[in-house]
Amino acid sequence: MAIKLLLEKAHVQGIRTYEVYRREGGYTALEKALKEMSPEAIVEELKKSGMRGRGGAGFPTGMKWSFIAKPEGVPRHLVCNADESEPGTFKDRYLMEFLPHLLIEGLIISSFALGSNATYIYIRGEYAWIPDILEEAIREAKAAGFLGKNILGTGFDCEIYVQRGAGAYICGEETALIESLEGKRGNPRIKPPFPAIKGVWDRPTVVNNVETLAALVPIIKMGGEEYAKIGVGRSTGTKLISACGNLNKPGVYEIDMTISVEEFIYSDEYCGGIPNGKRLKACIPGGSSVPILPANLLLKTAKGETRYMNYESLSDGGFATGSMMGSGGFIVLDEDQCVVKHTLTLARFYRHESCGQCSPCREGTGWMEKILKNIETGKGKMSDIDLLWDIQRRIEGNTICPLGDAAAWPVAAAIRHFRDEFEWHITNPQEAQIRNFGLAHYADPIHVPVTA
Amino acid sequence: MSEQQLFKVTIDNITIEVPAGTSILEAARKIGGEVAPPAMCFYSKLKGSGGKCRTCLVEVSKGSEKDPRPMPKLVASCRTTVMDGMEVKNITSPKVVDARAGVVEFLLLNHPLDCPICDQAGECHLQDLSYEHGKEGTRYEFQRRKFKKHDLGPYIQLHMTRCIMCFRCVYTADQLTENRVHGVLDRGDHAEIATFIEKSLDNDFIGNVIDVCPVGALTDKTFRFKNRVWFLKPMDAHRDCPKCSGKVTLWNRGEEVFRVTARKDEWGEVEDWICNECRFEKKHSSDWVIEGPREISRHSVISQGHYVHTVTPTETFLAVNDGRAPHLLLDIHTESDVNKPEIELSLINGPAHSNNFNSK
Repeated sequence: MAIKLLLEKAHVQGIRTYEVYRREGGYTALEKALKEMSPEAIVEELKKSGMRGRGGAGFPTGMKWSFIAKPEGVPRHLVCNADESEPGTFKDRYLMEFLPHLLIEGLIISSFALGSNATYIYIRGEYAWIPDILEEAIREAKAAGFLGKNILGTGFDCEIYVQRGAGAYICGEETALIESLEGKRGNPRIKPPFPAIKGVWDRPTVVNNVETLAALVPIIKMGGEEYAKIGVGRSTGTKLISACGNLNKPGVYEIDMTISVEEFIYSDEYCGGIPNGKRLKACIPGGSSVPILPANLLLKTAKGETRYMNYESLSDGGFATGSMMGSGGFIVLDEDQCVVKHTLTLARFYRHESCGQCSPCREGTGWMEKILKNIETGKGKMSDIDLLWDIQRRIEGNTICPLGDAAAWPVAAAIRHFRDEFEWHITNPQEAQIRNFGLAHYADPIHVPVTA
Repeated sequence: MSEQQLFKVTIDNITIEVPAGTSILEAARKIGGEVAPPAMCFYSKLKGSGGKCRTCLVEVSKGSEKDPRPMPKLVASCRTTVMDGMEVKNITSPKVVDARAGVVEFLLLNHPLDCPICDQAGECHLQDLSYEHGKEGTRYEFQRRKFKKHDLGPYIQLHMTRCIMCFRCVYTADQLTENRVHGVLDRGDHAEIATFIEKSLDNDFIGNVIDVCPVGALTDKTFRFKNRVWFLKPMDAHRDCPKCSGKVTLWNRGEEVFRVTARKDEWGEVEDWICNECRFEKKHSSDWVIEGPREISRHSVISQGHYVHTVTPTETFLAVNDGRAPHLLLDIHTESDVNKPEIELSLINGPAHSNNFNSK
């Protein structure tokens, strides 16, 4: 049985309420942190744990926290990024919906460590029912004396505010989130200055993902070194994976990053295989922005080693033959799915969500969508594939924020691994309207040349 | 330590010393010429502008003396400050040239390319940019984005179809006027500059949005379709204005003033903001103290008339002909109703039409 740190108590009846959460050992980490540890010690513990940010980029959180500027007399802020809008990712929603107090506890510990007296939860507008749950949890925590003035007699004041977004994917980017939080149009800022120097209202700010902040609770409870023992290599601790697509048991799973991708998809403990006896065609292992992988490269790396569900193994081979852990939105496609249509869906999403600030992303995403639509509806040309490649190449890395990269990568990976399917759509436009390309050779074992 | 710290920066193998806090773009502009990256959205007089169009991308091949690592991505030179010992590659980097060609293609993707009927032609930054860095053809095979024209009050016309979303007009309204009533609606490639409900921009300094617009999206309604800029003669002039500096450029044809703009420097940026009264109301030479012709870069199509330092030859006919006027076989004004000399073209509202000359 795998170790569960975050979701251990998720199925306890009434865990959403303060009484049950407290009875199940809640807020003990907070008491430990505030009474026995200094803010520096918490950051030190976090560094020892080696936890990497769970929002997608995988940057070590302890390192990020140590960058925050501490000028005299300027308030600092912690912002919880709950604007989880990546297609395929729904782990934060699950956490906030079922374990709101876990997030609140993590937030208070983090606020204490960073010295933030006003902490914000920026939640996406589409999660319309969750702010109520969070605000109820905040109210309960306040009544119990864990929020407000002079928490637990330590002299530390903290307030948590819930701010609802208005439904823009781009507001999940930290600087766009900050702009939106300030009440402006959610356009990403140009970095530098980074939020750690100038964030909300030009004050030093740390923006962290919901899961990252919730993971503070087990880290403080068990200590950073113990936490670092879970998992492998630089992928420490547990990670929530939201699995969806053609799976028997889609849902949110907590894994300790030692299991293989094959086990995750096929074992009964996790996703339970693919329904109706279909075969695996492709998978996006970390939310819509990361490169898609065909079945053979997903289960085994290009070197023929087993691929595991952790940061290093999933990105083994770079973008040529690997992908990324991302935010943990695990999307599985079976043999009946069409990669071209799938890529079009993603391109349409990014076109719709591009903020329109910098030209490559604004114009390029729309262009890619139109070309993909042509290919999908049987009007494509062979040259369109190379054109798509050229467009994505010129968007990637040339934009202000990572949305440009996120829009370019899925298209690039689809062409890189599924070029023959694109070509089939172009050479068989009529047939492509009524049936799918199918599995072809994507699940075949990788050919490894042998020397004499 | 009153002395300002100077940083040594090398751009395209040319080394220059600039004060700390200067952006790469401004350092490159000090060197001038080809080394200065093009900028479509950056405007040195507008705080917070820049970083959006991505035409000024450069490669930083050496971060600084202390940290010589190159920057992993191309950076927007307008928003990146120089470090001591920084080495920057602009036109010497194939990566930059390629990325810039890409950006030009993206910018022109939804641009109508209606230069022949656009008032900005001849002084359009996008036109210059695409001549210099673009390709002759487009690979875009779809319908371009179209918008309805908006009337922003009596003086300004917004033609969103031509807009490249540089955000300069938004910053101008933010920083020059007390109350901004226009902004960006929507997002992505369907974003548009607009007033929320069709509303006029009414502010003493709002006319400056016309000057900052790098393309023909915001045009002067008192000048639209009156004349091509390269047929006009820019003259520096000034007047005592209670609201602004009063230093302007008059665009004359003969003695007629066709339009008034702020004075623009070699990077196309205004030197002093001017008020609406100077820009739209004072259209007579008698309103102004003329200082002399304005120097325009010889590369500009505006300077094609060679009006600077030219000497008009004196008419010798009368002297040679014993004071007798030449005998004209045909005087056009007796034959035709058009082009009556007593009608001033600059005062006609809109393009001249034969109806304007109907004496009845």
